[in-house]
Amino acid sequence: MFQTKRVTSREGAPSLGSFHRRRWTGDLTLRAGLAIVTLGISVVLAIMMVESFADASPVYEKFGILGFVTGTKWAPSFTIYGAWPFIYGTLLTSLIGLVIAVPISVLIALLLTELAPARLRAPFGIAVDLLAAVPSVVYGLWGLIVLVPAMRPFEQGVSATLGSVVPFLGPPTPGASYFAAGVILAIMIIPIISAVTREVFASTPRLQREAVLALGGTRWDVARTVTLPIGRAGLLAAVVLGLGRAVGETIAVTMVIGNSNNIGTSIFAPGFTLASVIANEFNEATETLHPEALIALGTVLLVLSVIVNAVAVAIRNRFTGGARSGF
Amino acid sequence: MASDASVVFGQTSLDRRFKERLFVALAVVALVLALIPLAAVFGYIFVNGIGSLLSIDFFLKDPPADLTAAGGGVRNALVGTFEMTGLATIIAVPVGLAVAVFAIEFGGGLARAARFLIDVLNGLPSIVVGIFVYASVVVTQGHFSGLAGALALAIVMLPVVTVSAEEILRLTPHPIAEGARALGLSRWRSILSVFMPIGLSGIVTGVLLGISRAIGETAPLLFTTLGNNFFTPDLNQPMQALPLLIYRDALNSAYQTARDRAFGAALLLVLIVFGLNLLGRWLTTRRRLAGSSR
Repeated sequence: MFQTKRVTSREGAPSLGSFHRRRWTGDLTLRAGLAIVTLGISVVLAIMMVESFADASPVYEKFGILGFVTGTKWAPSFTIYGAWPFIYGTLLTSLIGLVIAVPISVLIALLLTELAPARLRAPFGIAVDLLAAVPSVVYGLWGLIVLVPAMRPFEQGVSATLGSVVPFLGPPTPGASYFAAGVILAIMIIPIISAVTREVFASTPRLQREAVLALGGTRWDVARTVTLPIGRAGLLAAVVLGLGRAVGETIAVTMVIGNSNNIGTSIFAPGFTLASVIANEFNEATETLHPEALIALGTVLLVLSVIVNAVAVAIRNRFTGGARSGF
Repeated sequence: MASDASVVFGQTSLDRRFKERLFVALAVVALVLALIPLAAVFGYIFVNGIGSLLSIDFFLKDPPADLTAAGGGVRNALVGTFEMTGLATIIAVPVGLAVAVFAIEFGGGLARAARFLIDVLNGLPSIVVGIFVYASVVVTQGHFSGLAGALALAIVMLPVVTVSAEEILRLTPHPIAEGARALGLSRWRSILSVFMPIGLSGIVTGVLLGISRAIGETAPLLFTTLGNNFFTPDLNQPMQALPLLIYRDALNSAYQTARDRAFGAALLLVLIVFGLNLLGRWLTTRRRLAGSSR
């Protein structure tokens, strides 16, 4: 209201003739200016994307798109480039991250919407914002110096016992591994998933919750019969959002995954993700087609993240009618 | 009562009480499980980094040429980070605001196309942004530079600024927007004199969040500005940045000196990012309390 008054007193009532002319030229100028900037940035971004794809094209021509994506061998000194070890690493580490992060995030979100007193919610919101903002190189530094050495005994223990039955949990156990990368990813995406999930849960209708309580239901009954079913779609969107972050995460993963071009047979084996192999090899890529192959990995990562984000948007739109603008 | 509820929820009351306890216990365990590593990260970085930050030399001197030598500071990285992030802000904020205003106020096919690109950017791994800038700027220019790094950071910031500005513009209360129209204000006048002032604190918050996201990025800098062990204020040269310095020193963390410097720089970066976020949050809260807009 205050703003409206201020504008009124400053403008007065302009005469209609000059007013129309000014309005027309002003609007046109603004519109043209904004359109030029918008068009400019769109063109620049589009050119950058196309140029990257063009740089990668010799690799796709040599191996074929399918051959490159499914190729299991990455040997720059022999000019053999296959993306599968890194696609595998990206999917496996993201999956480990989600398996750890989703149950914890959902429980935290339920704890804060159903159980905790209201005055705890604001501090939690601030804490989550801050945690989500911590740069990934900081998580990587901690992961490299503290987490990896601390996890080595655990990995050795599991591989010595379960590993003899399930090769997927077997040796080698150098510490830096797919598993370590998955754990650091989980730590990084818990704030994001729990924040979005908490917002979804908090927006479930109060009346329905109170109805369950009035019927003598416990708070678990509220969660089971109201919050979780109603929040299911939002929860799914939150999970996909976390997946998107995990798929693209670069530096923290690079620092704890152990850097190996081979497909590890165990989750405790060292490996690479798409993002981490690019980060690790790009500046030293001197072999034939090596930079081009790394850029080609970048385009695979681009396509992967566009798919994940499109799925998140589709889920959100389907369940909210596209009315809400985004998280 | 209990028997009624059992009819509704289909279990014996003992069973339900047990499940309730289990639920609460699991939720608390989950919170503790999540808090342990997070507290460990902060505690460890703080304890190992605070020593470096207490020395003024840390801010005023460059790292020694020999990684393993003691002494020195992170001046080159600080200057590089501030210059590149500053330039990125100067580029990203006007462009982001322009796209947001255009998309909200005018719409149309061009706006939809731009919004689609912004959405793609928003979900794009930042290392891919680094590749874009490498392929278009570094290759064309023929060398790594702070300028290329700043462009990559600007592209990282752009969607954050645009999306938050759009949300703020959309939130402008209807009576105020209608009031502006009823007074016969033209669109550009109402955007500049009504929407922008009302949304200013929200827009500033979005900008601060964008800066805090860009300032901690490592991946888009790796093959754009590359890093530089020496001091340079020249944006046309390869530059050092705090995240790049942390990354390099972390990989050499077998040396105590490199490790100490990494933790000092990490604590500094975390404090900067927290400061930006808390400032942004404070601006938003103040706006809510003032009650001039929703």
